Amino acid sequence: MNLNRLRPSRATSRALMGLAGVAILWEASARVFDLPAYVLPSVSSILAAIVDQRTSLGNAAAMTLMEAIGGFCLGSAGGMLLAVILTMLPATRRVLLPTATALNSVPVVAYAPLILLWFGIGPESKVIMVALAVGFTVFLHALAGLDRVDQRAVDLMRSFGADRAAILWRLRVPAAIPLTAAGMRVSTVRSMIVAIVTEMLGATGGLGWTIYQAVLQIDFVQVWSAIFVASAASLIFFGTINFLEKRYVFWK
Amino acid sequence: MSNAAAMFRSAALTALRGAAAILIAAALWEGVVVLGNIKPYYLPRLSDIVMSIIAVPDAYITGFFRTMSETLLGFAMGVVVGVANGVLFKHSRTLRELIFPLFVISQTIPVIAFGAVVVLWFGNTILAKALIAFYLTFFPVTVNTLNGMDAVDQRQVDLLRSFGATRWQLLFRLQLPAALPQIFVALRLACTLSLLGAIAGEWFGDTTGLGVLLLQAMYNEQVIALWAAILMSGLLGTSFYGLVALAERRVVFWRSEL
Repeated sequence: MNLNRLRPSRATSRALMGLAGVAILWEASARVFDLPAYVLPSVSSILAAIVDQRTSLGNAAAMTLMEAIGGFCLGSAGGMLLAVILTMLPATRRVLLPTATALNSVPVVAYAPLILLWFGIGPESKVIMVALAVGFTVFLHALAGLDRVDQRAVDLMRSFGADRAAILWRLRVPAAIPLTAAGMRVSTVRSMIVAIVTEMLGATGGLGWTIYQAVLQIDFVQVWSAIFVASAASLIFFGTINFLEKRYVFWK
Repeated sequence: MSNAAAMFRSAALTALRGAAAILIAAALWEGVVVLGNIKPYYLPRLSDIVMSIIAVPDAYITGFFRTMSETLLGFAMGVVVGVANGVLFKHSRTLRELIFPLFVISQTIPVIAFGAVVVLWFGNTILAKALIAFYLTFFPVTVNTLNGMDAVDQRQVDLLRSFGATRWQLLFRLQLPAALPQIFVALRLACTLSLLGAIAGEWFGDTTGLGVLLLQAMYNEQVIALWAAILMSGLLGTSFYGLVALAERRVVFWRSEL
């Protein structure tokens, strides 16, 4: 057993130092200048509020995470499927690629009101919104990955009699997986953010809804505790996907 | 210069092809709705949407320019700060290790929640929205500036140094130009993100802007007005993205695979 492995690396300890520095600076400025809570509540009061309301914040975080993960899975699957279709049927590419690019040029939050009108204020609308946001990113990454193969390798396989499906499965998919995984990794945090944004426009629960209610009640300690919880949940989600990527996409 | 002429011709051809694609898409949209007998609640006719914009253009035009200024201001701040951060982190490993992880964490904070606080701090000003746009844009620019500068060949650095180049010369003659292709990738991402920030920022009680138009249309369940606002956002997003991509092609001309 290598003891060195247990010791936090230089990068980790520096990161923790930076985090501690900000927390101390924050706490100190909130106390020394005696800032009112609506300007900047102290870190300790935010943490106390989180402990105080752990059940309701935990439930809200669970709801938002479920929406984010559901949309993330749906969007990733949809994005990959679309990329494979475009690769297998080059004829569809000239129609679908410009359409996808045009739809993508509208910022995804602009669709939120429309999706809420269509699917109601329940979790469905959030899952759809997240799937839209994640789907575009994964689609573009997967397509770039599928295209990235060496043309000579394609020609070689073809000369040995491989059909399009074989080339896709044996050559293009393994080449595309690292880039697709990278697209999924950057989508994790965004899927949480989109779920929260959509919840703020109308929802029955979740972190975004909690934040919106707290803003209306001018309870800024509550706003900040929900922000902290959301940030922590995003980091865990990101860390999990990052871990899975490192573990299974070893040939990157 | 025949090179410039060829470039102009190819740009004109691209623009023409884009215009044709838009016309075809518009015709398809109109045709599907009319032939498929789709209810306006799900998808109104494109012509109805355009007519509703033309009927009362004032709100859309002022909204467009308001959101545009917020987006551009936030984008500009994000690019300047992002590139500066990248250069700073390149030169100081300690700073990089202390601050960079904080930047990563900052990006997990849902910007719209932050938006409530920013609007409280800075009021309902253009600056408040620009700050939200800035918050979303500075990070990708920082990361790509840093990555681009890290990718510079060490032998080139050594060569310039052996000729007595100063740090500044090294930075402006070698490292930044070499990082430009990467930086432009981030700029293309940043223009979408800054627009997103500006629109979401307007949801905290502003009175003008495309984000406001979106919200009002949703609360009044006016589907045509909602689509009109979406179209205007798309127009702003596409033109901004197109301009950045054009600048990329002119500035980073040595990169062939654009």
